Amino acid sequence: MSIPCDKCCESLVLFIDNEIDDSATFNEIAFHLQDCQGCRGEMESQRAALNLIQSLLTRSCCESAPSSLQEQIALRLSELASQEIYASTQSEIITQYRRTEITIDGQTSIEIETSHEIRRDFPF
Amino acid sequence: MAITLDLMPTEISNQGSRDAGGLVRVDREKESAEQRRKRFEDDALQYMNQLYSAALRYTKNPADAQDLVQDTYAKAYVSFHQFEPGTNLKAWLYRILTTTFINTYRKDQRRPKQSDQELEDWQIADASSHTSDQGKSAEDVALEHLPDSDIKRALAEIPEEFRIAVYLADVEGFSYKEIAEIVGVPTGTVMSRLHRGRKQLREKLTDYALELGYVKGGKK
Repeated sequence: MSIPCDKCCESLVLFIDNEIDDSATFNEIAFHLQDCQGCRGEMESQRAALNLIQSLLTRSCCESAPSSLQEQIALRLSELASQEIYASTQSEIITQYRRTEITIDGQTSIEIETSHEIRRDFPF
Repeated sequence: MAITLDLMPTEISNQGSRDAGGLVRVDREKESAEQRRKRFEDDALQYMNQLYSAALRYTKNPADAQDLVQDTYAKAYVSFHQFEPGTNLKAWLYRILTTTFINTYRKDQRRPKQSDQELEDWQIADASSHTSDQGKSAEDVALEHLPDSDIKRALAEIPEEFRIAVYLADVEGFSYKEIAEIVGVPTGTVMSRLHRGRKQLREKLTDYALELGYVKGGKK
């Protein structure tokens, strides 16, 4: 019927953290907690301890970003945005290949040249 | 000039993907660079205080924390086209913050890595603690009286991997799965770190309370 106490205790952390996705397992624990005062007491004390730690942390770790940081970020984003506009102006890369084959007295030499050209239209 | 800007996305999307790379994919959503920037500012900048507070916990000093947050936003902005709207933006930003911290800010700090092989440890510890100890509420009251500076100090003193897990779970309220994705470790590792981190934090806080005389001695 009900799961044993040690199995319940094993899963208490997960239960308290709301990390039990499987509804059957969740129900097993919930039912056990309903019936077993010992485990319920343990769960409540663990939950209270965790709630306390969480409230202490939330209370103390709540600094606001200094205004200088906000300004720096705004500036950085503007720079990135203008770079992006620059990069996204219509451009095309033209690649040309030239193959030269010269045969003299049965000796063939082949030369391949590659060139890349970036053509960009500026919208301004 | 404004008209030119509006026209750009269509021009880009008419091109091959060769030089425009990721930009082409944004245009699929018919969003201009300006619109995307606006969306980024509206959606992402609201987390600046939270990210800064997290960065302070990670780096433990304001100058590095500011640099870290700035780098995070720059990276997020540049890859914002990869972010799928409607999914968890906050978790996405935290992932950038955390990986940037791990890859950049921590690089030169040589410290022995905490082992993660104590996966069963947390289960054993909890399974054996069926008996709740008395006098807990008195200790709780004492902890509540600790100044914020002590709470931050205690958090700063626990190992980095534990600190990050505790912060993400207990301040930011991320699930184990989200933390696993943010930090880039398996869920089991998150559980282990979280459990050990919370335990160490609690011990430190109790020690401080003892030192300050909030708790009358006797805790073994």
